Amino acid sequence: MSSALASLVVVLLMAPVLPGLSARTKAILTGRRGQPVLQLYSDLGRLLRKGAVYGTATTWMFALAPVVVLATVLCAALLLPLDGRAALIRFSGDAVAFAYVLALGRLALVLGAMDTGSSFEAMGASREVTIASFAEPALFLALVVLAVLTDSLSLSGMLGSRLVPGLEGFQMAAAAPLGLVAITLFVVLLAETARVPVDDPATHLELTMIHEVMILDHSGPDLAFLLYAGAVKLALFGSILVGVVVPRAPLAPWLALVVLVGGLVVVAVLIGVIESVTARLRLKRVPQFLVAAATLAALGVILVLR
Amino acid sequence: MTFLFSGLGLIGLGALAAWLLEGRSRASAALFQVLAVVGCALGGGAAVRVLLGTPAEQIRYHAQVLGGDWVWGLDALSAAFALAVFVVGAAAIVFGVAYLAAEARHRRVGPSHAFVGLLIVAMALVVTARAAVPFLIAWEVMALSAYFLVVFDDTQAGVRRAGLIYLVATHTGTLALLALFALWGGRSGSFEFDRMMAADLGGPLPSVLFGLALVGFGVKAGFVPLHFWLPEAHPAAPTHVSALMSGLMIKTGVYGLLRVITMVPGAVAPWWGWTLLLLGLTSGVLGVLWAMVQHDLKRLLAYHSIENIGIILMGVGLGTLGLAYGRPTLAVLGFSAAVLHSFNHALFKSLLFFGAGAVARATGTREIERLGGLARRMPVTWIAFLVGAAAIVGLPPLNGFVGEWLLYNGLFGSALGQATTPARFAVWGAAGLALIGALALACFAKVGGVVFLGHARSPHSREAREVGLGFLVPMIALAVLCFALGLFPFAAVGLAWPAGALVAGLSSGSAAQVGFPVIVGLPALWLFTLAIPAVAVLLWILRAGLLQRRAVTRGPTWGCAYAATTPRMQYTGSSFVAPLEAAYRGVVGLEVRRAPGSFVTEPIDRVLEHVLLPAWRVVLDVSGRFRALQHGRLNLYLVYVLATVLALLVWLYAAGTGAGIRP
Repeated sequence: MSSALASLVVVLLMAPVLPGLSARTKAILTGRRGQPVLQLYSDLGRLLRKGAVYGTATTWMFALAPVVVLATVLCAALLLPLDGRAALIRFSGDAVAFAYVLALGRLALVLGAMDTGSSFEAMGASREVTIASFAEPALFLALVVLAVLTDSLSLSGMLGSRLVPGLEGFQMAAAAPLGLVAITLFVVLLAETARVPVDDPATHLELTMIHEVMILDHSGPDLAFLLYAGAVKLALFGSILVGVVVPRAPLAPWLALVVLVGGLVVVAVLIGVIESVTARLRLKRVPQFLVAAATLAALGVILVLR
Repeated sequence: MTFLFSGLGLIGLGALAAWLLEGRSRASAALFQVLAVVGCALGGGAAVRVLLGTPAEQIRYHAQVLGGDWVWGLDALSAAFALAVFVVGAAAIVFGVAYLAAEARHRRVGPSHAFVGLLIVAMALVVTARAAVPFLIAWEVMALSAYFLVVFDDTQAGVRRAGLIYLVATHTGTLALLALFALWGGRSGSFEFDRMMAADLGGPLPSVLFGLALVGFGVKAGFVPLHFWLPEAHPAAPTHVSALMSGLMIKTGVYGLLRVITMVPGAVAPWWGWTLLLLGLTSGVLGVLWAMVQHDLKRLLAYHSIENIGIILMGVGLGTLGLAYGRPTLAVLGFSAAVLHSFNHALFKSLLFFGAGAVARATGTREIERLGGLARRMPVTWIAFLVGAAAIVGLPPLNGFVGEWLLYNGLFGSALGQATTPARFAVWGAAGLALIGALALACFAKVGGVVFLGHARSPHSREAREVGLGFLVPMIALAVLCFALGLFPFAAVGLAWPAGALVAGLSSGSAAQVGFPVIVGLPALWLFTLAIPAVAVLLWILRAGLLQRRAVTRGPTWGCAYAATTPRMQYTGSSFVAPLEAAYRGVVGLEVRRAPGSFVTEPIDRVLEHVLLPAWRVVLDVSGRFRALQHGRLNLYLVYVLATVLALLVWLYAAGTGAGIRP
């Protein structure tokens, strides 16, 4: 319990480091110096102290969106076993609740974007829901593999203690589906956190943005909430990935936490590397990319169902 | 049962008052409202009593007609569906009187109100009947009163066409049900459900009966490919009738399937479950894809009913697989998820239809592309619609999530516990359900964003005014119920669980035992659903505090440095779903007509336009060849009769079996 709480606090505090790490990695690999790794902290601090400008077309929906997005991401964090053992809130089927509460945030963000009456923001919203409809089945197929392997319907079982059962020979049999799931989850992470090759956080043309254009009109504390929520979401999907690759239940709580932080840093750097070496996919190709990821997970399901 | 029937009596009395007193008394509509709502409260009370654990009751009437005694009963399964009928029925009655008030100035609306009352009574009798004859009578009264309600605007050709398609469809279904009960009653020697249940069927008969039930109840439930009447009839009807039909009447099909399954314990075959699961999955995915490209708000909602019936059917299928393969946990989870989602869908679908009706009344149009910016003009309608939209997508902390959570538990659970039966392959359904959910989110993002947010796209929506209390009170009540069942998942699960146990053939004790791993999570789920609004409120307060002493200004939306934007430049609903339409082009069914200066897309129903109507034309063609025989000359008809009689006599004589007609 206390280790779960401590891990949650650490993850929430360190989340803004991750986008900075990705950006820095990309800068170094492309021959620039880049922004400081801790840039997002000062951005957040500055935005929280600012006022806000609201579009004349907007209603309370626009102002509510960032609040709901951040609230859903924080609630989703309660369901993840960040200490490698058990989450603060866990129940049978909490994996579903994790995906669906994030979907609530997505609905709020999308409606907030459409509240501005801007074609660009609605275009981003349209792309967001399209991509999500391909990413969601991939995520659930990955969850099915984890559920069957660990005989658990809770994320705390899927990513926690049950991933390393005492059964002889179990780990070898599970290695192949787990590897497939890890790849799927990484692709889902890229899609959910609006990263290359699905989306490009550094794009500068409204017409080609997806996530960025939806938050284009937000300012002040609203923008701070959205940026922070994005960073936490990255940390959450990152820790699912770390949980699958490095089961931490046997480790001492402090060691598990260190491994988690290290794993998140690796994920962030990996994202930066990918952003430096690949271009963004054409929008029409994104569904194919995500369907391919879902296919890998489906292969994993076939392996574990036998 | 006394409560239930006195409630039904009051609703009937109210219906009579609405019909007979209209024009003589100004209070006729108000009298109808009061009597019918009190009647719904009595009936709902009777259902709640049973759900809270009062033993199931039966009432028997010694009918002196063919088919034996007429029996009605109220058990957990009947009660769950009856409760939905009474709750949504009461809301629809209140809404309907306000909705038709505008029509009442220049035409009679009393008969329409009376048929609403009759429809509600008939649906309550359908879900409580325990013998074939009263069941079929109630079924036909329900189907026909719905027909008269659909053709309310019978001056429009489209409405008449919709009514005709509906009438043909519902009677095809009734035909299958007649065959079902005739076969079953013939074998068991009784038309009472209890005795039919006790009959030893054996052989392939149960599967034949299931096939007939699937067609008969399937037409009413409206899953693909038996859905074709639904997107025609539901939008054509007045809004509160659409709510009754989409929210409740299609559920009587689900109820019928569940009741048939309870009546053949032990005879359930695996293929039933697989058929139901696959039909559910197909219906869910196709329903939402078809919904997405609609331009008419009510038609869009009608297609969403097909999607949700698909989700419900997945639950029924999972439960049936649980029965067939001896996995009681799956049975109870699948069936209670189906019952709960039926109840939930009744609430939020009627809420959404009410919202659509309010928009149509306020703006005079149901064309999504002509609306926009209604959130400012109709704030209460928007909030209620938003709650309904989030609920139908299945998002926490609303009621839709609880039902889908149960279903996901069952689908995931099918492959757990070192499962060795083929039932474990039902786990694929989880990914299908995730796809359905994500597509539904896209669709309701379109509806919410294009209809209610942004700028008004036409004068209709620019000058819209919020609707009156008669519209708003039912919407608010249903929205509160959606929230309440979502924030208190105990209540939601408790409502459906006894019914699920009943269909699964388990006592409440053993149902609690097999469902324990899921049920034990309810307190944590409750904590989680409460955490979402709590955290959101805290963050809202934090935001308000941060902005309190800062400059908050308003300015134009960023238009990429283009200053002269107009509302017509907004993204349209069609553009919003264009990427998804492109990805699923083969199945969506969107007809594109291009001409110089014009570009029109028209969604068409593939099954109706590409399968049924061509098939119907073939039937017409073939039968047209025999039309020469039908010429209207009586003397020649008499010759046909004479020739037939003579031919029969010759045949009987030749066969030597004509005992009484020796020459």
